[in-house]
Amino acid sequence: MDAELILIQLFSGVALGAILVITALGLSIIFGMLGVVNFAHGALFMVGAYGGLWVASLTGSFWWGLLVAPIMIGLFGMIIEWLLVRPLYGRSVDDPLLLTFGLSYVLVEAVRIVFGNDGIPFPTPSQLTGVANLGIGYFPIYRLFVIVVVAVVLLLLWLALEKTKFGLIVRAGARDPTIMRVLGVNISKVWLLVFGVGVGLAALGGVLAGPMRTVNPEMGSLVLIEAFVVTVIGGLGSLLGSVVAGLLVGIAISMTALFAPELGTIVMFALMALILLVRPRGLFGKTA
Amino acid sequence: MTTKSVPLATPVVPAKRPSSNLIATITSWRVLLSIAILCLLPWVLPSKALAVNVLIYGVLAMGYNLLFGYTGLLSFGHAAFFGAGAYITGIAIGQFGVPWYGAVLLGVVGGGVLAFVIGGLSIRTRGIYFSMVTLALAQLVYHVGLQASSWTGGENGLRGFTVAKIDLFGVSINFLDPVNKYYILMVFAALALWFVSRVLNSPFGAAIEAIRENETRARACGYDVERTKLLSFVLSGLICALAGTMSALHLAFVPLDVLHYQTSGMIVMMTLLGGASSFFGPFVGAFAFLLMEDVFSLWTSHWQIIVGSIFILFVLFLPKGIWGTFLAKVIR
Amino acid sequence: MSAPLLAVENVGRRFGGFVALADVTAQFEPGKVTSIIGPNGAGKSTFFNVLSGVLTPSSGSIRFKGMDLVGTRQHRFVHLGIARSYQITNIFPELSVHENVRVAAQAGRSRYNIWTNRNRFRELSERADAALDSVGLAAKRDETAKFLAHGQQRALEIAIALISDPEVLLLDEPTAGMGPEETKEMVALLEKLARERTILLVEHKMKMILGLSDRILVLHHGRLIADGSPRDIQTDPEVRRVYLGQNDGYA
Repeated sequence: MDAELILIQLFSGVALGAILVITALGLSIIFGMLGVVNFAHGALFMVGAYGGLWVASLTGSFWWGLLVAPIMIGLFGMIIEWLLVRPLYGRSVDDPLLLTFGLSYVLVEAVRIVFGNDGIPFPTPSQLTGVANLGIGYFPIYRLFVIVVVAVVLLLLWLALEKTKFGLIVRAGARDPTIMRVLGVNISKVWLLVFGVGVGLAALGGVLAGPMRTVNPEMGSLVLIEAFVVTVIGGLGSLLGSVVAGLLVGIAISMTALFAPELGTIVMFALMALILLVRPRGLFGKTA
Repeated sequence: MTTKSVPLATPVVPAKRPSSNLIATITSWRVLLSIAILCLLPWVLPSKALAVNVLIYGVLAMGYNLLFGYTGLLSFGHAAFFGAGAYITGIAIGQFGVPWYGAVLLGVVGGGVLAFVIGGLSIRTRGIYFSMVTLALAQLVYHVGLQASSWTGGENGLRGFTVAKIDLFGVSINFLDPVNKYYILMVFAALALWFVSRVLNSPFGAAIEAIRENETRARACGYDVERTKLLSFVLSGLICALAGTMSALHLAFVPLDVLHYQTSGMIVMMTLLGGASSFFGPFVGAFAFLLMEDVFSLWTSHWQIIVGSIFILFVLFLPKGIWGTFLAKVIR
Repeated sequence: MSAPLLAVENVGRRFGGFVALADVTAQFEPGKVTSIIGPNGAGKSTFFNVLSGVLTPSSGSIRFKGMDLVGTRQHRFVHLGIARSYQITNIFPELSVHENVRVAAQAGRSRYNIWTNRNRFRELSERADAALDSVGLAAKRDETAKFLAHGQQRALEIAIALISDPEVLLLDEPTAGMGPEETKEMVALLEKLARERTILLVEHKMKMILGLSDRILVLHHGRLIADGSPRDIQTDPEVRRVYLGQNDGYA
């Protein structure tokens, strides 16, 4: 086993991790702000992949798919929050989880009805096919692109949270929702938007992941579980935690695949179990 | 609004309402009553297969409800225990030639041990984490089931352990006959019903309800909350594993899907549809779910969209489920 | 002076960089009522949480009848003889009033028995009834706890705490949110309890504290700034300085 291969595989892990980061981040900000675990997150990731494919085939351009699908599905997420999740605030924390779980059933079957049961290949845009020489070896351009997009989105998200008034409201609201009411902020509008952004991130993850695998109605369930593992490791509600844990899991899966391909998924769970034993609230989780 | 813990669940002090005597009577006879209904089931339902499934999934949902409805822990990983029971029974019979009763025992104990491990890890986490961690750990079990194909048959499932006849006390019963099969499996279900009823009536049953109601207060009263939850988790896992062994005996086949998280989700759906925290609720829910599956799958292969939508409506408008809502109406 | 039942020595508790409690040393003799006062955020709740095992102190020691309690898990405290009530009513809302107390009594007797019918522990049920009687809730025994009036829920919580027959009773604002009438009833109940138990009380209602307490501790910014009889405390210049302009203190 040479060093070059390991480095390339490491890079591959970062690309895989980048998708996980963006998806888990959506899950995490929804939880951090609304206290809701969105069980339909994986299904919405899958809907994102199909949405991207659909828009791309309509317009003939991957770029429209990448741009439009996450926004569309983000808006759809806002409808979900408004119509289904909002009536459950003030009830048991399990209720929104159960509801979104039911929703994931509906979404998966709806996609099956529209697009069929079988997987559909998602072509890599022509500008991004091929490999690039990184000095350490050849690496698919598309994966580099994924890493760059995720980095840019993270930067934008960070700027939005740290440098804007809206970000200030979100951060304060995550800490103490009642203070928002005292300050006269319309918290339900903020929640609506946060849910939309979180869902939009899942959809973006879906579109980005599309060309790296076949798009099928089942693809969301594994992603949901991966996103859960990432947020458990990173600490639910911690944005930094999502980023670090996402990359960690991506790299762990990809490195294990190099040595023992059949253990790729299992190692992720082992990592989670280990973290739970040492730090039950995750790497960056708040202590009681 | 009336109480969340319906009187069938809390027989200790029935509220002084006109119907409370009736409810109290039903409660004290609940095990025999359920068995009587189960005895009739194959003759009133359209198919014997549906009746057997009501038995298996009723036991499964009831075991799950010990944790979800009575202890207040929303696990999304109970497929692991159902699957463990099924696989261990199948492997014990098919690959080691263990007699059926030994295989059932091994399956139940194996499921309990797995529940001890998964429960021990997930109970360290609080609140919403718990659901996510149980789901993830159960998915780990799924992947183990998938990879260990020399034991489990991998994606093709486990076959080759047909139990054709059951020898008991010198009598040999043809297990392939659907009626015989139903009543033999019903004995397991009756045992499970009796056991769960016993647990719910016990001091431990009071302790888990207290934890469900108010964990902080229960701890301040002197209950070791973590240990109590773990015991509840293990008991729940044992019952679900029993349902798994019943399923294995019934089908003479274990599909890999038993370990899939959709199975965990189905258990949650059944329990909630019927009504968590009531004794009969999970059975009612299992029955309702299976009936819906039977009916809707005649119309469309996409029956899950209907079931999913109905489930959403239940969460929104009937969180007490069919049985729980019915009880609330009767009591009023 | 009799030997202290409960003694804390240099107890401190930090949350990250925030010091909620610093270097508190105090002894509590049996049979006395001690009130802990201080402006909001003074560390009263933290002090109670440390004393009842909810929080482990970051430093210092807690000794109860000579036994070191640091590191003991919370649920053990009740079995050792320290019980508490909470500032925000903390009962089992969906259970009957009687079951609320009975299940608390059961914690001292049977926690993991999955086999016997719980109704066969008749003594627990009788003790629960006696406790309800002592806090004036006997008539409400079969009602669902969440339907009780606020003051009755507070009384129920005290019955829950009392059922373990604790030597030390920690009461966190037992009259919080109560009107004058309910407060009067609660004070009468506390006076009755004070005859037989060691009580630590966090309260804001000054008149009540001065009437009930044998001794008062004053916390400010996590530090113990005064410790003495009600009379001493009233004339303590440091306490006066801290409370000056703090209306909630004397409200």
